[in-house]
Amino acid sequence: MKTPTIGRRAALSLGGAAALAGASRAVAAPAEVEIALLVPLSGPWAEQGILERLGAEMAVHDVNKAGGIKSLGGAKLKLLVIDTGATAETAKDAAQRMLSEHPHLVGGMGCWLSTFTLAVTEVTERAKLPWLTLSYSDAITDRGFHYIFQTSPTANAQAEQIVPILMKLAQDTTGKRPTKVAIVGDNTAASVSFLKPIKSHILKDEKLTAVVDEIYTPPLSDATTLVQPVRAAHPDFVLLLSTASGDDKLLADTFSEYGMPGSKMPLIGNGGHWVVPELLKTTGAPILQDIMIGLANWPGKDLNALSARYEKRTGNPWFGHNEIFAYAHVQILAWALNKAGAANREKVADAIRTMDITDGPAIYFPGHHLQFDSKGRRVDAELVIVQWQNGRPVTVFPEAMAVGKAVWPT
Amino acid sequence: MLENVLNAVAAGLIIGCLYGLMCIGLGLIFGIMKVVNFAQGELLMLGMYVSLYLVGGFVALGILGPYIGPFVAALLAGPVLFVGGALLHRFLISHVSGLSIASRTETGGFGQLIVTLGISLILQNGGLIVFGSTPKSVLTPLSARAFILGPFPGGALLFLNQARVYSCAVAIVVAIVLWLVMERTRLGKSLRAAADNPVAATYMGIDVDRAYRIAFGLGAGITAIAGGLMATYLTFTPFVGLDYVIIMYSGVVLGGMGSILGAFWGGLTVGFVQQVSALVLPPQLQNAAIFVVFLLIVGLRPEGLFGRSAERA
Repeated sequence: MKTPTIGRRAALSLGGAAALAGASRAVAAPAEVEIALLVPLSGPWAEQGILERLGAEMAVHDVNKAGGIKSLGGAKLKLLVIDTGATAETAKDAAQRMLSEHPHLVGGMGCWLSTFTLAVTEVTERAKLPWLTLSYSDAITDRGFHYIFQTSPTANAQAEQIVPILMKLAQDTTGKRPTKVAIVGDNTAASVSFLKPIKSHILKDEKLTAVVDEIYTPPLSDATTLVQPVRAAHPDFVLLLSTASGDDKLLADTFSEYGMPGSKMPLIGNGGHWVVPELLKTTGAPILQDIMIGLANWPGKDLNALSARYEKRTGNPWFGHNEIFAYAHVQILAWALNKAGAANREKVADAIRTMDITDGPAIYFPGHHLQFDSKGRRVDAELVIVQWQNGRPVTVFPEAMAVGKAVWPT
Repeated sequence: MLENVLNAVAAGLIIGCLYGLMCIGLGLIFGIMKVVNFAQGELLMLGMYVSLYLVGGFVALGILGPYIGPFVAALLAGPVLFVGGALLHRFLISHVSGLSIASRTETGGFGQLIVTLGISLILQNGGLIVFGSTPKSVLTPLSARAFILGPFPGGALLFLNQARVYSCAVAIVVAIVLWLVMERTRLGKSLRAAADNPVAATYMGIDVDRAYRIAFGLGAGITAIAGGLMATYLTFTPFVGLDYVIIMYSGVVLGGMGSILGAFWGGLTVGFVQQVSALVLPPQLQNAAIFVVFLLIVGLRPEGLFGRSAERA
């Protein structure tokens, strides 16, 4: 039997073809891959966007310094930072402009405020752009969209988790379970989502009565009419569901003015705006002391080195909620690009949809597990609780991440 | 219940005084020059930032400490913005206002609207570039402290925020001084004459353009003082003016267009309605309540609450 052989000419042709294919592949791999960060950089939520930008910039720097996207021939990440403006309409316009001006975008993240994210993802979904968000509202991933990935526990899930934790903490400290709660919150999407399960069943399940339920439209010009009824109702603790740090200051100041600072009345906030450095500057450590905040993420003690590097790089006093989310989102996109092996939106989205990892970008989330369900929500997303202690937010829950002990004011 | 009512009424009156001062600034400009100034909110914002930088940047104010310094800075923001306002008038507003423009009814008003709207946008975005978007506040411990009065019947206590009480007192003093200036001084008379009949005022030897420049500067300075006072208990960004410009216009129209005293009472009414409405309505309808009252008054008394009784500027 004659062994099939390849002649010299055929071998040269094949070699040439292979070389050409390699060359064309090298040409196809882009020198830069564009990803977008669409966040408020002006208006009442600007501080949140600025912190996200700092986290994302550091992540892009780290990815590029480590050799870029290896499966794309070391292509560097290029971060486009875009301002949503101060309203849902301007956010949506910004998203449309972003897509028309940057047709090669392969992924993005934003927009911090759920109301903005809801508006923007209508645009990004049509463009099939994989979009990562830290926004809390359940509505974001309740619409059957396929290209949105919510890395935070939803507001609903946070509400389900935080109230039992608070009840236990109060009981362990005071020896009795709270029976009365006051609710003061704004009417933005995240706060509305947070309150929905509380009002529908959590209060009943935990045998709690809402003695005050005040909802306002942000921004606040005065908090007297919100805080005065709380004083009159003598609750065991207060849920403060604001979304702007300006409102946080006014609420914290007014509670203090009415003799109910966080060190005397358990004040429980929710969201990253409660732990931004600027709030400390505008409000002062004594007013913020002992206020507890439920968060979707916060660096635990295992990320001390990363936190220290961020603090050195930016001069900011801590690596917080917004920064770590943005950092992790960039790392997720880099991981997905690497896995997809192509700067292609559909393939990147597929890579994120099918990811199930406990290392790489997973280490930036509590529980160190990164997987998304069919709605685009992170599986097993766990709540973190931090508490203002001596002018710094200190992680007090979960125990695996805690660097301090929770104080329940009495 | 009594405690809720007492506190809402007190907060309404105190905040209303600050709104009143804010409205006087706008009322002065409209009353004397007949200029609808869309940039008034941004003058308020500039007052806040000037106050912040005066407290942070001047050793003298630093020595005064966090109790007196912020209020002195708020007062000093007035002269700073007076100069700024006068320059703004000299180089921009005067081209679309004043005697020569008033006669050109087909274009005069539109020019003012577009120029002041343009100034507003430039100041907002310029503020974003210069001051940044991070929320700021003039830090004073008074913002989280209260004077506690009572007990009243039923054990009710009245809490008066110290920063707002002092701000309110300063606002009332500034409003009275301004009223005295307008009523008792030669400058005030010339401003009122320029407002009532600019042509006749010119014949009487009054430099109407100068009067308008002073009026615009005063309007800017007074609103800046209100901004500086509000900065002692609120956080602000370059876009804060947007939240207050509607309140200012409501106050001025409520009080009676062209009336300085009316503008103060109008602002006071807005603050009062905003706070007291929360006793019977959900807090998210506070601003809606202002506009219900506004529409009622415009419907029943188109000349404004104090349009007849209050003295014209």
